[in-house]
Amino acid sequence: MSWSELLAELFFMPAIAFVVGLFMVLMMRKIAAKIQRRVGPPFFQPLYDIVKLYQKDTQVSHGLWHDIGIVMAVGGYIGAEILLPVPGFDGIADKGGIITLSYFLMIPSLGMALGVGQCANPNGSIGISRALTAMLAYDIPFIIVVFGVAWHFQSTSLVEMVEYQQVHQWGIFEMPLLAFAGLFALQGMMGKHPFEIYVAPAEIATGPMVEMSGKYMGGLFVMQSFQFYTAGVLYTSLFLGGGENWITFLIKCFAVIAIPISIAYVFPRFRTEDVVRLLWKWPVMMGLIGLAFVM
Amino acid sequence: MKNIEIKTTQQRTNPLANVFDRFMQFCQSRSLFMLHYCTGCGAIELPPAMTSRFDMERLGIQPMVTPRQADILLITGYVSVKTLKRVILTYEQMQSPKYVIGICSCTVNGGMYWQSYATAKKLNDYLPVDLYIAGCMPRPEAVIEGLQLLQNKIANNDGHSWKDYFQNYDYYLGNQQHLFGEDWQTPTDIITEAKHYGLEAEGTYGKHTELLAKHQHPLQPLPLKTNN
Ligand code: SF4
Repeated sequence: MSWSELLAELFFMPAIAFVVGLFMVLMMRKIAAKIQRRVGPPFFQPLYDIVKLYQKDTQVSHGLWHDIGIVMAVGGYIGAEILLPVPGFDGIADKGGIITLSYFLMIPSLGMALGVGQCANPNGSIGISRALTAMLAYDIPFIIVVFGVAWHFQSTSLVEMVEYQQVHQWGIFEMPLLAFAGLFALQGMMGKHPFEIYVAPAEIATGPMVEMSGKYMGGLFVMQSFQFYTAGVLYTSLFLGGGENWITFLIKCFAVIAIPISIAYVFPRFRTEDVVRLLWKWPVMMGLIGLAFVM
Repeated sequence: MKNIEIKTTQQRTNPLANVFDRFMQFCQSRSLFMLHYCTGCGAIELPPAMTSRFDMERLGIQPMVTPRQADILLITGYVSVKTLKRVILTYEQMQSPKYVIGICSCTVNGGMYWQSYATAKKLNDYLPVDLYIAGCMPRPEAVIEGLQLLQNKIANNDGHSWKDYFQNYDYYLGNQQHLFGEDWQTPTDIITEAKHYGLEAEGTYGKHTELLAKHQHPLQPLPLKTNN
């Protein structure tokens, strides 16, 4: 691959991810509205929100780490996007593989922790400690799933996994238990109900986001759209055969994201210790049984 | 009674910049995060306005829970003197452009609490109010219509009353001192902010800010200690 092609991919992959992510956010809000029997936001609402937030005339920065935290939160996902193969673009996916990607997916939470720590808001500190606990909870089943899938395909490269699935059959048919455990982990990873105690708007005032204003909040909105896209594409690549072309690929990604969202808005939330107990029990158990089957 | 004079920002000469500005104002008007400070009974009309019956989200308005993220401060009902302190602290922590809406007759003129010694009568003596929605209590339709009015104002480049708080700080501070005592001080340093963002005007300084400077003690970081 020539340098210019690589540079183009490094630009276009996050750009596409952002746009698709915005649509996913729109879908989330529309699904939420439909479940609650409302009309829901207009088509361009996610865009309006982000433009509005970046437009604020005054900004409060709590210091250097606050700024760096947001950059890490968004940057971690941008880094993850170029490691995710999509139809037509491989980026540096064949160099990175799923283990590098798993590390990249932790950077945003750690960046948030750094940034929120400097805000010195007790609600933020409580929120981020809960968020990191939740990360510990969903990362165990996630790593089991990643290990099982890598073992099954005898490869850590997402490109090879996708190629294998397109020749043979989808991962979800070969490893249904791992796929189910992965769906559980996905729910936690997206920070949706019933695992969103760390945001808890009514109790700790959105936790980690409590001191975020203007462009900081805008950064987090951007991060959210990247997060949805990453979750959807990762699951599609591991279990649903990746993308043959953009149309089927996007349909699969949106369908994957729609599942946790539809579950989310009919559930209240678990307490932190219950999140850990639940995620370390059922998905881990299913993941381990699934692992035994593929070994 | 003071007349708020709001200086609208000049239109830029470059037509492209104008289009850009219009787009930005449109986005601002279509995305409003609302912090509803439920001070009084009027708050009861907000849940129906937000939920499935009237659904504010279709207008791009959604509730937010912290002043940092919010654009609108919605005061829903009578404001007691004690509450007003919190309202002012909340308002000062919000990021501009910010809008204040007073819902209920009680925020307009004291309403049925006119004779009470414990309530602040007119909200716009203490904060620059963009819009009042009168009624005891106004129905959700009225609330939504009010919010739409505010949206039109913003889209027409007319939502700048937040600047008035910086430009006439002395006036607002005077009223606040009158109510809370001379040593009234908030954690947010409005004068420094006004300087920083270039929003000073004649009215920023005056005898009340001088009084503030006399009493003002700089904010200290909280001591780090555990509770034992
Ligand atoms: S105007 Fe009526 S409903 Fe509103 S706060 Fe006053 S008494 Fe309550």
